[in-house]
Amino acid sequence: MGTQTQLTGLKVIKQKGLCSIQDLGRISSQHLGFSASGAADEYAFLFAHALLSHSCHQNNNNHHNSAALEITLGQITFQAEQNCTIAITGANCAASINNKPINNWQAHHLSAGDILQFLMPKKGLHTYLAIAGGIQNTPWLNSRSQTSTETALGFSTNTITVGSVIPLCSNAVIEIPSTTLTPSAFYNTLDDVLTLRFIPQALYLALNEKEQQVLCEHTFTLSPNINRMGYRLSALPENISASLHIAKDAIRTKLSKPVTYGTIQLPNNHQPIVLMKERQTIGGYPVIGSVIQTDLFKLSQLRPGNRVQFIPTTVLFAQQQLSAMYQRFL
Amino acid sequence: MANNQSTSNTTPTSASVKALPNITVSYVSENAVLLEWPEKIDAIQHQHIMFCETQIRQALANTIIESIASYASLLIYYNFTAITQHTLNTLLHKVITTPYCSHNDGAPIISATASTTAISTTATSNNSNSPIEIPVYYGEEAGWDLAYVAEQTQHSIQEVINLHTQTQYHAYALGFTPGFCYLGELPTVLQLPRKSSPRIAVPKGAVAIAQQQTAVYPAASPGGWHIIGQTPIDMYSVADQQFKSTITVGQTIIFTAITKAEFLALGGQIVKEAG
Repeated sequence: MGTQTQLTGLKVIKQKGLCSIQDLGRISSQHLGFSASGAADEYAFLFAHALLSHSCHQNNNNHHNSAALEITLGQITFQAEQNCTIAITGANCAASINNKPINNWQAHHLSAGDILQFLMPKKGLHTYLAIAGGIQNTPWLNSRSQTSTETALGFSTNTITVGSVIPLCSNAVIEIPSTTLTPSAFYNTLDDVLTLRFIPQALYLALNEKEQQVLCEHTFTLSPNINRMGYRLSALPENISASLHIAKDAIRTKLSKPVTYGTIQLPNNHQPIVLMKERQTIGGYPVIGSVIQTDLFKLSQLRPGNRVQFIPTTVLFAQQQLSAMYQRFL
Repeated sequence: MANNQSTSNTTPTSASVKALPNITVSYVSENAVLLEWPEKIDAIQHQHIMFCETQIRQALANTIIESIASYASLLIYYNFTAITQHTLNTLLHKVITTPYCSHNDGAPIISATASTTAISTTATSNNSNSPIEIPVYYGEEAGWDLAYVAEQTQHSIQEVINLHTQTQYHAYALGFTPGFCYLGELPTVLQLPRKSSPRIAVPKGAVAIAQQQTAVYPAASPGGWHIIGQTPIDMYSVADQQFKSTITVGQTIIFTAITKAEFLALGGQIVKEAG
């Protein structure tokens, strides 16, 4: 930890949006009250690492759980203090090196002194910047992820602001591996209605078939109130609000219980909240179900005003989808 | 990337299966299974939850990623590629149907001395049966809502303090913020709804009550509970990259009243309400 100050890396020279260091989170420290946290869009996050991974063994090969930068709504400029190899994925921020445009979903070399700039993306929210060897900030409880509500408590490393140096490995240069990966078409269709498949829980199961159908045919709009903790949606259709109210009374909802990634909560204002990576560990609102993880990665890229629909699925299907996605990258 | 069609044609069956007459097992996420007990705050039932958590963690040490207990529920995160739902289900049912003897609930409180060393020793003890003593200064400058609580419950301030300190609490859940432990059950006469609008800043060490619960705020944070005092002791410690919560779920806690002089001698700093 004493060596931390000696590390060089990427220096933040301009910043308007949000930027944090993320890996796959600290899922095993939730019993202590810590948020699981981690990369919002694991698809783009893992894709970035895969662009820097060689099949042969190399010391600075990126592990799928290496830390990368999660840049939210772009608008950040770095200066490289050392040579390094980077990969960029996720929301397209028209990135450039020394004002020369570079491709998204691709790896690039940076030389010491180079200026790497990200503009505000036209669509999507999160862009991932991975660096060969991973970011070397001090881990906390087996994870380098930064949780906005916990950085103030001094547990994880400081919030990134102008002047911050993102510490890198001393040798962060690799030969850019050849890749056959092509990004999902999803990133071109962010304005379409996104189908969120969910595993039903008590509140949904308490509705009759017709009411379930009304819920699943309704198109919800993302409210302005979205962040890494949770996404608030527009209110439920009025004709099933009343039924859900009765159902809420019928099911047990008084005592707080543990919540998971993707839990769909229903507070009294009938505006569903989908819990995201920086969620709290337990919650007291009635639960409709949980959105499957491969759909949550997509949801994390949507903005206020974008639209979603719910459709029930099974745990087995959700597991198959997640395994299939991981197998592409791990 | 995904196959929407195959799901729209699938009619999902209920994710829940009845285990014991009173315990429900629900596979709520790709990697999480939720066990729910009857909806009540009950120390004996909670000991059964703790027992099940230990048994499951022992039986599946390499498969369990995390477990989180709350008042009447237990969430188990597991590596779903390492175990089939059928195998896990069989094991869960075996554990929750295992005959179980609870500890004698009314165990006498080990007499706690007033010295700091005794407090820190009890506080770091792993033995869930020995009560942890939390010293509290209940002066009105520290207990911002003490007068309000007294008025609402139609008791004197001293009676409120007596009621709070004469109860032995059980730690039911940890959450909200690191080191925040939900303690119950508060005497019925002290039970009040949360404040209608939460405070932006509740001080570190605030001892507060809401509904059937009481807790200590481990760090300054927003909060909607009624503050009745402040404690000088830390609710967590950090050493060697390890986080240690002063109270862990399943433990027994008592609050003891201390004077302002004792509070300050223990290193406490009274935070008065602004404005």
